[in-house]
Amino acid sequence: MKEIKDKIEQLLLKTQKPARYIGGELGSVVKDKSKVDVRFAFCFPDVYDVGMSHLGMKILYGLKNAVPNYWCERVFMPEKDFEALMRRNGIPLYALESLDPIRDFDFIGFTLQYELSYTNVLEMLDLAGLPVYARDRKELTPIVVGGGPCVCNPEPIAAFFDLFILGEGEEVNLELMRLYEKMKPEHPTKEEFLREAAKIEGIYVPRFYDVDYNEDGTVASITPNVPEAKPKITKRVIPDFDHAYYPDSFVVPFTGIVHDRVVVEVLRGCIRGCRFCQAGFIYRPFREKKIDTIERETKSLCEQTGYEEVSLSSLSTSDHTGITELLTKLSDYTDGENINLSLPSLRIDTMSKEIVDRIAAVRKSGLTFAPEAGTQRLRDVINKNITEDEIIRTCRLAFSEGYQTVKLYFMLGLPDETDEDIKGIADLAQKVVDLYYEIPKEQRGKSVQVSVSASTFVPKPFTPFEFEPQALPEEIKRKQGFLLDNIRSKKIRISYHQMNVSVLEGILARGDRRLADAIYCAWRKGCTLDSWDEHFRFDLWQEAFAECGTDTRFYANRRRSYDEIMPWSHLDYMISRSFLIRENKKAHEAVTTRNCAEGCSGCGVKKECGGVYCG
Amino acid sequence: MFTVADMLLPKNQALRLTRYEYRLVFEKKGRARYISHLDLMRAFQRVFKRAGIPLWYTQGFNPHAYLMFPLALSLGIDSSVEPLDIALIEELTFDDLKDRVNAHMPEGLRIVSVGKPVMKHTEIAAAEYSVRLSAALGAEGTAKAFADFLAQDRIEVEKRTKKKGINLVDIKPHITLVSLGHDDEAALLGLRLPAGNEFNLNTNVVFDAFEKFIGVEIDTIYTTRTKILTKSGENFI
Repeated sequence: MKEIKDKIEQLLLKTQKPARYIGGELGSVVKDKSKVDVRFAFCFPDVYDVGMSHLGMKILYGLKNAVPNYWCERVFMPEKDFEALMRRNGIPLYALESLDPIRDFDFIGFTLQYELSYTNVLEMLDLAGLPVYARDRKELTPIVVGGGPCVCNPEPIAAFFDLFILGEGEEVNLELMRLYEKMKPEHPTKEEFLREAAKIEGIYVPRFYDVDYNEDGTVASITPNVPEAKPKITKRVIPDFDHAYYPDSFVVPFTGIVHDRVVVEVLRGCIRGCRFCQAGFIYRPFREKKIDTIERETKSLCEQTGYEEVSLSSLSTSDHTGITELLTKLSDYTDGENINLSLPSLRIDTMSKEIVDRIAAVRKSGLTFAPEAGTQRLRDVINKNITEDEIIRTCRLAFSEGYQTVKLYFMLGLPDETDEDIKGIADLAQKVVDLYYEIPKEQRGKSVQVSVSASTFVPKPFTPFEFEPQALPEEIKRKQGFLLDNIRSKKIRISYHQMNVSVLEGILARGDRRLADAIYCAWRKGCTLDSWDEHFRFDLWQEAFAECGTDTRFYANRRRSYDEIMPWSHLDYMISRSFLIRENKKAHEAVTTRNCAEGCSGCGVKKECGGVYCG
Repeated sequence: MFTVADMLLPKNQALRLTRYEYRLVFEKKGRARYISHLDLMRAFQRVFKRAGIPLWYTQGFNPHAYLMFPLALSLGIDSSVEPLDIALIEELTFDDLKDRVNAHMPEGLRIVSVGKPVMKHTEIAAAEYSVRLSAALGAEGTAKAFADFLAQDRIEVEKRTKKKGINLVDIKPHITLVSLGHDDEAALLGLRLPAGNEFNLNTNVVFDAFEKFIGVEIDTIYTTRTKILTKSGENFI
């Protein structure tokens, strides 16, 4: 597409960070079009800097391109300046490898990582020159598919997609592409193709389900309307995680991105079962990679990319059963190569001091804890098993080693939260400050800074809190003020995430199909890049909800009964309803649940899924 | 016995006093044209890492590979004469170094030649550019307009400085027209402009002024840096 390339080049010098829009990075895969049978545009509905940091895209990009006659390319949301230039100059949304317009591809796939990227999906479809509603795209191609964590309740955006992929994508993506490759010569209609696709485990075709509602607005029934559609669609899991596909090369961007380093996934799933955490449930069961596998992947990626930093990815890295041996082996390698080893999601309490020292020697960044709640009682409610003692013990050690900053993450608006719990946040922060002053002057650092971040709790599907009302905006505001009133020390800095972002997230996360028109309306009013503070326009969203007659409280702030049919009831993420109800009841009694390593609590995930602690 | 140097030694870093210096000349074109100067530094570090080139690291507490671009190249400009100075901890032949690095370069970047640094960075005084320029005036018209542009008494541009705010600077004395012509599609210019630490004039400053002068938008500009020169007009080596 010489013409597009020429047009783009003329505009690049008029935009910020033009390297984001032209491709050509090391590791990007360019194929001979004449030898390719299936073309897949992998879209991350946010800007390049964010999307290029996403591990899932790296995995699926490598996986699809490993098939000689499939070509997967990358597509990102342009920043507003470049988007305006594209529209003014008639440049349709194109893929970074071939610079071809994505409307000519066989598949357009979006990874849905957070609700606030929904309007970007609409913007990208429109920029591609396609109707945004699936019902208006009558041709077979492009087939618009969605995957990622938000697909556990895709109902609010179901109208824009042809199909969704539930769960882990390594196998099902290829199955879907193979089906298409097989059917393509027969020139099937879209309907014919989707009916066949619906037979694949883990594929959900929303148009094949009718949703009826009760008079009170809740869902009455979700019924398949073609024989191929299963009453329940079960998410996909890779049981043998150690042998799962992992790329041996990454696309190495020229321009700085959010996570600009080698990432190696060490384990999947989480044993902890924190009741507010969706990731902790939908990615179950807990599976890990062998140490040799992790070591091999680390070396091969470091050599291919030339990165000087490698990071281990997981929900909780220290839960790896061989963590000490793993870190010892990896740091032996990285030390020798002048490579930094960085370990997010590490629980220091379980580590030996020797290991902590080795890691700390690389980079002495601040300490971060996520107690999430201010009192032990509320931490028991949410099943967050970190105690004040642990925090104090680790902080004491850290302060005497010269650390000067501690970050504490909390949520406001958790179920059963009282003012006592909010005061507990201030008290805990104060205790950490006091602790610093207890350390002898010659041992501690020059000064201390305790940063408290208080975000707003958003109840999510497939968690024990899916039944809970989100706190009303005015109540959140009051809680924020109350917290601020209880802070006495200048050494404590409080920051809030923008509340309205969480409010919108709360509406979309547990919404149903009737929200589609409000999302469309908000987008038409100009809402895009909603996750960016400078672009977020809550006023426009409110207008859209008002015009569409959406009662946002119905979705976000209402307690749902244990027998309510949820909009996502036909999707099976293996976490049983009875387990969620049990956990919800225990939460209200402030009773904790043991983690998977301590013993099975019967969440519903089957033994065959390969969980380390299952069965 | 511990020496002071041992105790101050940064982690994982043996003290290396011997270093072998090289001056690489590289090409930057095509999609690589849009790599910013800062990003280019990072891109090269990764190239050397991939190629297993034994770079010399600075000997401080925050050791980093020694890479030095004597002259920055503006974003969007092609070149095949860009110098890059590096230091290694062992000696490699020029050809070996060139081949190993080129095997790991991204599209659009390529080492053209390798040598030892001869001149100091401060000797750089000027650079030459060849430019393809098209505007609504047509190829010939644009070339003629450029001649008229240079025939003015003064060419004043706004220059922002930290201390004085905005003031007007006459750039005309600094522009040397090396050649002027056109083909079917575009005007073809050869320009020599001051470059280096002392005084630097970017091509975009000249073309912004030209655009203002002709009063219509420039459609396309393709600029290639062709030479880097010393005060006496020799090629920088």
